[in-house]
Amino acid sequence: MSAIEIRNLSYQYPTGSEEVLHNLNLTIESGKFYALAGVNGGGKTTLCNVIRGFIPHFFKGERTGKVLIEGKDVQDWDPSDLAQKVGFVFQNPFTQISGVKETVFDEIAFGLENLGVEVDVIRQRVQDIIGLLGIGYIQDKNPNELSGGQKQRVALASIIVMEPDILIFDEPTSQLDPQGTEEIFRVIDIMKKKGKTIILVEHKIELIAEYADYVIVLQDGEIKKQGRTEEVLADEATQDFGLGLTQYTLLDLAMRKQHMHTERIPITEGDSVSVMKQWMEFQGVKA
Amino acid sequence: MERPGKFILNLYPTTKFLFAFCLMMTPLLLPGYLYSYMVPVLCLVIALIAGKTKLYVNFVLKGLVPIVVMIFLLQSFFYPGDTVLWSWSIFSIKQEGIHFSLQLTSKILAIGSSIVLFFQITKINDLSRALELMGISPKATYVLSAALNIIPEMRLQLLRIMDAQKTRGVETEGSLTIRMKAFVPALTPLILSSFSSTDEKAITLESRAFTARTKKTSLHHLEKTKSDHVVRALLVIAVVSILIGRFFL
Repeated sequence: MSAIEIRNLSYQYPTGSEEVLHNLNLTIESGKFYALAGVNGGGKTTLCNVIRGFIPHFFKGERTGKVLIEGKDVQDWDPSDLAQKVGFVFQNPFTQISGVKETVFDEIAFGLENLGVEVDVIRQRVQDIIGLLGIGYIQDKNPNELSGGQKQRVALASIIVMEPDILIFDEPTSQLDPQGTEEIFRVIDIMKKKGKTIILVEHKIELIAEYADYVIVLQDGEIKKQGRTEEVLADEATQDFGLGLTQYTLLDLAMRKQHMHTERIPITEGDSVSVMKQWMEFQGVKA
Repeated sequence: MERPGKFILNLYPTTKFLFAFCLMMTPLLLPGYLYSYMVPVLCLVIALIAGKTKLYVNFVLKGLVPIVVMIFLLQSFFYPGDTVLWSWSIFSIKQEGIHFSLQLTSKILAIGSSIVLFFQITKINDLSRALELMGISPKATYVLSAALNIIPEMRLQLLRIMDAQKTRGVETEGSLTIRMKAFVPALTPLILSSFSSTDEKAITLESRAFTARTKKTSLHHLEKTKSDHVVRALLVIAVVSILIGRFFL
């Protein structure tokens, strides 16, 4: 079942001289994890803004085509209903704090308060999310006094706690160290397992390979490539669109140039180990 | 027995406001300026009990006193009058000017220090919640909270911009002239970044369902206690006594 249907979508910002999205057609399946990748300025964030309904509800400009969620165009959705349906974690963590709450706990609860959720339920859900993200040590701190990475985690928690069906993450790990990044991806993976539809803008290709079901490559406002992660990231041509390949894929491609053909091109560590084992067995080499 | 400081801080926000309002208004009812000059001292005592002395003194000294001194000097020199006490060139201090300055600055100090005290002993979130409970729209209370919170945020942003300028070789420390020279160019990026962050903040609110038409709930529990009723009753008695004393005796 499709969660989002995009038909012939084009968009131009009010102050822009040309379109930033050109005639996009895309179907996002419910409960799947999509990675939006590509060079900077390719239209990824704009596409997220369109799906979330900030275009045209907030940013004006000229939008043509259709973006359907549950069969209804996002511009016909009531903004508050859309907030419950689609959660969006932005790129910049510094402006994602409401600015009116004194503790991280209250900040995370803010969205649920706005939705009129019962106080006891709010406390439980906020506590669960704090546990999930491991941010209990900052729950009593003032959100304005947090570091970039901590704010990013709080921003993520504040959206996830509202339990929307569709979650959009625009570079949610830009302020995080490798360990923090892994933790966030673990949480996103848990969301996927809960049946949420995930759209993630990300440059860290190893993590996309590990977690995403599908990859969409955007460049100059057009979809240059899309398909299952293992297909897109195993294709050497993907590099033509400014997207790197994982070290496991690059190693396999280098081996192929030396006429060492494995059964298939791996994209993750686990995949690579299994492919190499098979290849070595085939070659009669003892592992 | 509750600590006196805790007693003050735990009062309901509107009780604290009524108290501050009475402190602001009574100088306007009473003649002369002695009582008015007592108000900042009274506020200092309350701040001391509430454990907010440092912040209160800081705000009064840095924010109020310079304004009051400036007004006092200007009025002393330029208020019309005949009794000249001291003169130099075209400047002269008149007795009428001194009297008017004392009247005016005493009221400004009384009103200013009451406002400073109110915001030192009242949390912004408590005030917002109390206003919401009074039926004021959450949008209006958000604007109030955000406006009061924006000052420390802007100060942090200014420090970030100044640091960025320092790394580019701009001198930001030293004499007043050097600091002024560094401060003025920092204003443009500060104002521009504030505008852009306002846009993003609006989207943040949108993504947190701030405009949802459902009845909002709140984790923030506020309740009037017996202490509030006692303080309110005492305030009414004090104001009525002042009114009777002023107009009927």
